[in-house]
Amino acid sequence: MTKPLKRECQADYKISFQWEDLNLFIYLSGEFGLKNLNAFTDDIKREISRQETQSVTIDLSEICYLDSAAALALVQIEKGSASRNIPCRLINLNDEAKGIFSVIHEDALTQLPFHPEKSSEGVITQMGQASLYLARDFVNFVTFIGELLVALAYTLRHPKSLRGKDVLFYVRRAGVDGLPIVALIGLLMGLIMAFMSYLQFRQFGANIYVPALVSFAMVKELGPIMTAILVAGRSGSAFAAEIGTMVVNEEVDALQTMSFDPVRFLAIPKVLATVIVVPILTIYADLAGILGGMIIGITSLDLTVKTYLTQSMKTIQVFDVITSLIKASVFAGLISAIGCQRGFQVRSGAQDVGKYTTSAVVAAIFLIVLTDSIFAVMLYYVKRYSIL
Amino acid sequence: MDSSKNNPIITVKNLAARFGNNVVFEDVSFEVYKGEVLVIVGESGCGKSTLLRIMIGLQKPAAGQVLYQGTDITHAREKDLNLYRQNIGVLFQSGALFSSMTIKENIELPLSEYTDLSPDAIDQIIKMKLGMVNLAGYENHHPSELSGGMRKRAGIARAMALDPRVLFFDELSAGLDPVTAVELDNLIIKTNEALGTTMVIVTHELESIYKIAHRVLMLDKEAKGMIAEGTPVDLKEHATDPRVKSFFLRQLPSAPAEQRFYDN
Repeated sequence: MTKPLKRECQADYKISFQWEDLNLFIYLSGEFGLKNLNAFTDDIKREISRQETQSVTIDLSEICYLDSAAALALVQIEKGSASRNIPCRLINLNDEAKGIFSVIHEDALTQLPFHPEKSSEGVITQMGQASLYLARDFVNFVTFIGELLVALAYTLRHPKSLRGKDVLFYVRRAGVDGLPIVALIGLLMGLIMAFMSYLQFRQFGANIYVPALVSFAMVKELGPIMTAILVAGRSGSAFAAEIGTMVVNEEVDALQTMSFDPVRFLAIPKVLATVIVVPILTIYADLAGILGGMIIGITSLDLTVKTYLTQSMKTIQVFDVITSLIKASVFAGLISAIGCQRGFQVRSGAQDVGKYTTSAVVAAIFLIVLTDSIFAVMLYYVKRYSIL
Repeated sequence: MDSSKNNPIITVKNLAARFGNNVVFEDVSFEVYKGEVLVIVGESGCGKSTLLRIMIGLQKPAAGQVLYQGTDITHAREKDLNLYRQNIGVLFQSGALFSSMTIKENIELPLSEYTDLSPDAIDQIIKMKLGMVNLAGYENHHPSELSGGMRKRAGIARAMALDPRVLFFDELSAGLDPVTAVELDNLIIKTNEALGTTMVIVTHELESIYKIAHRVLMLDKEAKGMIAEGTPVDLKEHATDPRVKSFFLRQLPSAPAEQRFYDN
């Protein structure tokens, strides 16, 4: 709102003071603006407080540039001296200067904010709040899983309502496009594991157990977990961001007004695609891991391909493979469900999308690890007491 | 219009909306008559969009009812609500086209879901709808390739896909240049006259209100409810309420803010 006054301007400001008895007259001329604000206010204030003053009159007739900040400073000088019982007047304002003064609303200067500034709460309040959020989060997630199951049941009863094209699209996105990175990480993990165990095993000549260790660890634990974490990072986040952006763009509202169930329309294809794809990715990860181990086996352990493979197969049972694939599908369901749910939680704005995308990945990884430990305990007992 | 005055298609009864303890509006009652263009106006934050969201079943009211041809949709089961939704079309502020789909796929979606027409017939309908909104030939464009005005028109084409009885528009011409806004106004007048579609529009573009509205409802933030109802000309010329007057005359309600006086 600054409006320069048009007049021949001196390079800088000039202030002259004149005393008549105890009455101070201040004549301003030149430019008054942000860049010399401190300098001229100091000059004026110093002069006012130099000796006892009865009244102050500030003459603005010679001013050729005034911006809103300088005008505010003059108003504050006026008020400051008024509060010390020294009447202060601004005189000889031309129209342009008046215009600038008119944008200063005095009520606005003293208006208290409607919302008090947020003060940080005590540790205990924060902890309480965090646990409440956590509980609410859990309830929300369980509710969403319920909605998802209802939608899934509907889709099973009405297979035609399934958006097959979308399922294939996400199969490609989460599966085919994710294969290179899953395979690469699997290969490197197999390689590292084989190398590390070789360093230990060679001390007592147990090299022959390296293939077994690599394949056992890959198939039972590392394959499914690592694939799931990669899928959570690649696809879980993408689902959350995609659905979140659709919420922000009112696309989810639009779906609802067109009487499509957003969960059925948006979440089911993603969940189905992930559940199909993750076990397959897991198999690839296992194979890549074994291949990585084999590279070390052949180059450093002097094993032949045949020995390596027979040794690898010895420890793996059909039970292990099947359970690890079941585990992978459960992970897949969790990752995609939490991704979609976090997406639907977005309310407004880009920041929300970022927040829930992050939260989708973090929650997914947490759930993966939690479920994995449950599986570990459960499978131990299943194997012990079953005929499998 | 007068013959249809006794024929409300939507009746809103004692509607109230709250966010927590904050009352947005209370006791709002009005009727939407068949074939009319009803415009809802009011300053920002008065609950126009909330009212619209309740009327299209996206939000539950704190109290009151919305009746569509006698059936209450605010307490309806999902199934009945879906039936209602097939009779209405909604244009959202941003158009809300599905960005992953082409314009054609956007319009195709409700048609393939709720009709058993052959793909050829659907194709013809899509072309017709696009022609109606002056977007013929844009079938295979993605929403991101269109300008704001074009996106809105494509949104109208999608909203009209199932030939709805009632069309709702949220912030019709917000953020559009004047020429595009006029184009939209003309499109609305044409559609209303040709198809007799009832329209409920939230907007605050005065010019377009004078042009398209048969009737105007005004909500107010302070009054927390409806403060005026009538034709736009009527409200402009005969309104006594200063808030209504200032809206239609585009003035501040009170005299210009106090001025600072300085000695000269």
